[in-house]
Amino acid sequence: MKLRLFFLLLLTGGLFPSWSLLAQAPSPTVTVRGTVMNKTSNAPLQSVTIANEKTGKGVGMTDAEGHFEIRVPANASLIFSSVGLATKKVKLEPGQTNIKVAMEANNRSMDDAIIVAYQRRTKETTTGAVNVVMGKEVQDVPVSNVEQLLQGKVPGLNIQNNTGAPGFRGSVQVRGLSNLSISGSGSESFLQPTSPLYIIDGVPIDADKASEYGFQTQGPGISPVSLIPPEDIESIQVLKDAQATSMYGSRGAYGVIIITTRRGNSKIPRVRYTSNYFMTTPPKLRETLGGNAERRLKIGQIISNARTYDDITRINRTAFLADSLNAYWNNSTNWQAVFYRTTYNQTHNLALDGGNAKFNYKTNLGYYTEKGVIKNTGFDRYNLNMNMEFKPNDKFRVFSSLFGSLGMQGKGNGLGILQQGVADNGTASTLYPPPSYYQSSGAVVSALKTKNDNNSRNLRANVDMRYEPFPGVAFSSSLSYDNTSETESTFTPAAANNQFARVYDFTGKNFTLYNRNNFTYFKTIAKAHTIFINAFNEIYKQGAQSRITRQEKTPNDQVQGPIGFDSYYSRGGGVLANFKNATIASFAGSISYDYQKRFVAEFSYRLDGTSSNGLENLYSRNPSIGLRWNISKEKWLKDLIWLSYGALRLTWGQNIVPTGNLQSIYGIYNLNGNFNNNPTIGINYDQIPNPFLKPTTTTQYNLGFETGLLNDKFVVNFDAYIKKVDNLLFDRNLATNTGFGKLASNDAGIANYGYELMVTARLIAKKGFTWTVSVNGAVNRDVLLRLPAENNGQYIRIDNSDYRQHTVFRVGRNTLSNYLIRNLGVYSTDNDVPVDPATGKRYQSNGIPFKAGDPIFKDVNGDYVLDGRDYEVGGNSQPLVTGGISTNVTYKNFGLNVYATFTAKRTILNNALSDRMSITRDPFDLRAVVPLSDLDIWRKPGDHARYPNPYDYGRYNQIQPLRPDQTLWAEDGSYLKINNVIVSYMFNKALVRKIGFNSARIYFSTENLITFSGYSGPNPENVTTLGRDVSSGYAVPRKYNLGINIELNTGN
Amino acid sequence: MMKKTIHYILLLLVSLAGPGCKKFLDIQPIDKLSGNNFYQSKEDVVANIYDLSRKLFNKVNETHFIGATGEYRSGEVLSESQSDNGPARAYVEVLGRNDLLTLLSGNQPWSFYNFWRITEWGEYYQVIQGANILLSKLEKGIPGVSETEKKQFEGEAAFARSMAYFFMVRLYGDVPYFTDAFHSTALPREKMVTVINNCITDLTQYKDNLPWSYSDPALKGVRASRGSIIALLMNMNMWNAGFDKGKAEHYYEETAALGNELIASGAYRLLPLSEWSTVIKGRSDESLFEFYRSVNYNDANSAVAPISDMFVHYPYKRPEYTHRVSFAYFRAEYMQKLYLGSADRRATVWFDENIYADNGKFMMLKFAQNSFITGEEDKNPDNTFMIFRYAGEILLCAEALAELGRDEEAIKLVNIVRDRAEAGHYAGGGGPDLKDFIFLERSRELMGEGHHYFDLVRTHRILSSTWSYNVLTLDKFNRGAWTWPVSRSALDNNPYMTLNDYWTNGGN
Repeated sequence: MKLRLFFLLLLTGGLFPSWSLLAQAPSPTVTVRGTVMNKTSNAPLQSVTIANEKTGKGVGMTDAEGHFEIRVPANASLIFSSVGLATKKVKLEPGQTNIKVAMEANNRSMDDAIIVAYQRRTKETTTGAVNVVMGKEVQDVPVSNVEQLLQGKVPGLNIQNNTGAPGFRGSVQVRGLSNLSISGSGSESFLQPTSPLYIIDGVPIDADKASEYGFQTQGPGISPVSLIPPEDIESIQVLKDAQATSMYGSRGAYGVIIITTRRGNSKIPRVRYTSNYFMTTPPKLRETLGGNAERRLKIGQIISNARTYDDITRINRTAFLADSLNAYWNNSTNWQAVFYRTTYNQTHNLALDGGNAKFNYKTNLGYYTEKGVIKNTGFDRYNLNMNMEFKPNDKFRVFSSLFGSLGMQGKGNGLGILQQGVADNGTASTLYPPPSYYQSSGAVVSALKTKNDNNSRNLRANVDMRYEPFPGVAFSSSLSYDNTSETESTFTPAAANNQFARVYDFTGKNFTLYNRNNFTYFKTIAKAHTIFINAFNEIYKQGAQSRITRQEKTPNDQVQGPIGFDSYYSRGGGVLANFKNATIASFAGSISYDYQKRFVAEFSYRLDGTSSNGLENLYSRNPSIGLRWNISKEKWLKDLIWLSYGALRLTWGQNIVPTGNLQSIYGIYNLNGNFNNNPTIGINYDQIPNPFLKPTTTTQYNLGFETGLLNDKFVVNFDAYIKKVDNLLFDRNLATNTGFGKLASNDAGIANYGYELMVTARLIAKKGFTWTVSVNGAVNRDVLLRLPAENNGQYIRIDNSDYRQHTVFRVGRNTLSNYLIRNLGVYSTDNDVPVDPATGKRYQSNGIPFKAGDPIFKDVNGDYVLDGRDYEVGGNSQPLVTGGISTNVTYKNFGLNVYATFTAKRTILNNALSDRMSITRDPFDLRAVVPLSDLDIWRKPGDHARYPNPYDYGRYNQIQPLRPDQTLWAEDGSYLKINNVIVSYMFNKALVRKIGFNSARIYFSTENLITFSGYSGPNPENVTTLGRDVSSGYAVPRKYNLGINIELNTGN
Repeated sequence: MMKKTIHYILLLLVSLAGPGCKKFLDIQPIDKLSGNNFYQSKEDVVANIYDLSRKLFNKVNETHFIGATGEYRSGEVLSESQSDNGPARAYVEVLGRNDLLTLLSGNQPWSFYNFWRITEWGEYYQVIQGANILLSKLEKGIPGVSETEKKQFEGEAAFARSMAYFFMVRLYGDVPYFTDAFHSTALPREKMVTVINNCITDLTQYKDNLPWSYSDPALKGVRASRGSIIALLMNMNMWNAGFDKGKAEHYYEETAALGNELIASGAYRLLPLSEWSTVIKGRSDESLFEFYRSVNYNDANSAVAPISDMFVHYPYKRPEYTHRVSFAYFRAEYMQKLYLGSADRRATVWFDENIYADNGKFMMLKFAQNSFITGEEDKNPDNTFMIFRYAGEILLCAEALAELGRDEEAIKLVNIVRDRAEAGHYAGGGGPDLKDFIFLERSRELMGEGHHYFDLVRTHRILSSTWSYNVLTLDKFNRGAWTWPVSRSALDNNPYMTLNDYWTNGGN
């Protein structure tokens, strides 16, 4: 079948050209002059290739002013083509010798220009796996961090917006897991982030900076990504495979995201204004029983489960249970409402641009404010971005940009991402009176009245020059300086801190000086062989330093500073451990060759040297090879009209990241105080130096296929990859006979393999009515390949917190599995509890036998005792499938865009539910109770329930029916989320011109509109990177937005 | 033409970038001292050697180490219930019954003494690793260190590691043994006799590289000298003589030879008893190795570490109302056994009239010297922590000679020590009497310096009620009743590790 199809293709491919050749007859030649302009900006276009359609041969090219002069047969058809522009066909009218051609940017994906290793190339001649998201896809919805809107738009880019805290980042992963490092314990365990490298207008930016300390962020914790105004983004490009990223070296190991901001592009100056007015509403919060319902439930629980008479009489001695007429205990306070709110916010963005090919400029002024749905939190952003391009002639070009931004964040009294105080308070008993002028708890004051002022000021300047002495040879140099200064000051009023006001201050500064010098050479030989050489070096100089100071007690709430120094109450201070002084030098080169744009081969190599690496093993090497076969250029396919293009890509590459630093290779030596009045210096015994530390090597194979069918009506992009991460850092704990604590070894390895598919269909493309649907998805599996030999293939990371939710690394299965007690249901009757035939005793825990209503915990070792030896491996905290769906409809002046994302096959531990349900462990405690009526709980013998009897508080501590370390809380976290629905209306041009506008557009949009999921918690996305639904997590709000775009008419 | 130009440009780039790049990437971290920037001068090495001493001293300082390991376990010491925080002082009697499991169990009144730390050997291995690393660095060569200095430093490093092994062997018996730098693998326990033999071989090769003494008085006894190494070698030989019975003769010969070498050197001397305060302050000609401490250097000792804490009261310790009596005392019976019936200046210089009090009035003035006589600070006298003292090694040599039957030489040596004590010469016969006398003489001379219990163990006198109030049966002795339990943490990440059976089986 396949063979026949192939022959058919071959036949049709072979026949058509000969037919067309026969039909034509020769005609006289004429000289044709003309100009080629950009249709939208009216700027002249240079280097536009002009070809005779009939012969397929090039006949000329436009010059810098867009002029051309060619000799062609009269009434020939001319083909105008250029990178990034739609090919234009012009048929010469009889006698016509002067033509004007207007070309417009095309939407043919094959001709898209993409940036590879800082060079603009056509997609046709690149071999890597690259996705492009246009700026307009991430606009129309106001967000504090543009990453939020990238979610579900690029297959293989897994973004989880797992916090609703304005200004904070979610988690970003390209092609699965690249790291095994888990820090923290309990619900606050987190995976060391492996964010991609961001390159904004050619300047690399470190996005992980703010999350250096995980949840224990010191300083404002504002990511540089949060400081980018989405309105200013022209395009976002995601580089996924090693061929595409290897030229970015070690820093590109986790993928590269290239953001290009807008350039000036209009002959007459343009003023564009965008404004959004949006409302954020807290999502559905957790239900609680209020007032008398709470009291009744507690009393009922005590009466029906009391073990002793004393428990019954204790009700009378417990004021909040017995004294229901006391005004202090006679309330029904909705504590969550005290902390959560609906907020109204706005953004404004003013963009000015203008200029032509010789000189153009842009200024973007932006303001964004969002108050968090938790009171006393929020994020404000101010931006002023400018860039300018000057191109006096063909040889010289200078581009400079200035990017200034100020981010201000309110974290409340929490860490931003987590709001422990709010979470604790939210579970306070509803019987308490609400906070008022006379009375409010210290915790409420702490959450609401703590003054938290965080600033991150970023200034980035960049100059990029390019000189082309001969056609095909170019030198360019880019220099940038990025400086961020951060401050945090927190003032805790006396009422929130045991009657003493407290002051905390943080100041930090970091900078990057960056320089890149580039050489490119481009040559086409005999019109068939094209060679492109790109060589550059990069140097970085980076520094960071931050300090804190804390005054435990200040005189009163009025004295907030200057605070001076108090020898007894001054705490902390000095330079923090994140001091940095580092240099990086890299050399990179690539050679790309293509034959008639049919076969493309690319080889690249990069050397990275970092100052933290030690001089003995200075450079890490990143090689890559890529091949591309543009099948559609083959003769036998060339004339398949339904095939717009088709290409196969095959790449291999390595990213090598030095894992060691001077300290891990040579050890740290500490000054340890005096002995015999002499200083003593000895090695730090926490970690044994390991001079044999190998760099982490990420090797990636990628096989890609892309095609456009029926004039790009259907575009399909498919990639399959294997990503192997070797020599991963894995700390080995050492025996006490070594004197050292641990050894940084790199004997761990993981592999990710998966598929990515993106299908875009332009279902309807009529004038006035278009409909495009795009679906993408990625399947990624990770497997743990290797652990240090002495682990015998398994390592259990014990969680020493109360949650005891251990993580297990077992070779051969998914990398991050949970290690929990398996819950097999609930004992329906006492007789269901197994009895140890040897002793006659029932299955027991902590000396207490199980009975009806208790959970069935699997007795893994079969000893009829539940203890630490009954844990089992299960679950996977990383999602298997991620992706997105989008549909765009335009009808006349109306537009409707819907974006949805999905995540499937992921284990979530519903810690929030376990926390809340287990409040029943002590009915005498002043905590709110959750309505359990809608939960499938065991109530009487004979019930077959999902949840055990939570009310038997007398045996709670022995049986622990609601213990967090059981699979009862492990749920599937699959979800489908409709993020954005955007309805827009473009006003009639003629109408708006009358009031002085060029165009005006109004739109209504939403963010995080609705989530479909089988998960029992509120939001399966609002969980940590390890899949724990933390009760202190910041709820992801819903947004409703009304926005306008206006372009002023500045022309005459 | 084009290609050539490109080649030239590339060549230029590479040649420019090459050497400059290394310089650019070489950043000396100013916030941390990493290993590649250490061991760059003689001063670095000295600071590192002092660090090894500091670490080893930490083990002595972290609890009442000397008394608990070397003095109380045979029951000669009783606690004074009337003393300040009396119940906490009762630990000496728990030790005296060899009931270490009770001593180490949680929630005892003496928990603040942190005796559990004795069961942790990690810090000894830190000393060993530190010394191994220093030796490997010295072998590679360190700028500014001459050949003589290098040899001396090597000797000091080797001494530090052997010292750590010796401490461990006396506490735990068999221990893992290694001498390579940056050792990271788990090891099983090595037979104690082998460990000691390895240490002896190791130390012997460095012995002659060290000076006999330091001209700088601040280094005397503080930095290891040839005398320190000889003292350690003698102690190690004598330890093995007790456990490696078949080769005992050889060990005695070695000890005797080393002892004679030490004495013949004339580098050390016994100070007159009137100058005892100088000896116990430290850095004296009598000191072979010590952990020197001084208030003048702001050295902070743990309050419970010095032996004087237990046996000194007002006016040598203040304030008066908490130090009316000593926390503990040596039984009158035992003191009488040591001193009654012969003239001995030590009985009056090192003790007062309450030497036979049999209660908290007892005081050991041996460690009351250099005390604070003004102010009310609750501080122990400002003394050094003496590890090896010339007098002790003379007696050890005498013991070896007596074991070899060279009684005359032995008696001569014993009398050197007795002369200094202004006591009568030994008048008894040779053979067992002489050996017993030497043992008693060591008990007298070294009381409170942490040798007594180890002498009982290595000479097996612990098996006899003549010598010990807490007699071990031969069976218990063989099962390791004389050792300390090894912390369970030793089992972590070490599949080859075993703990001390005697203690894991309930301690009897």
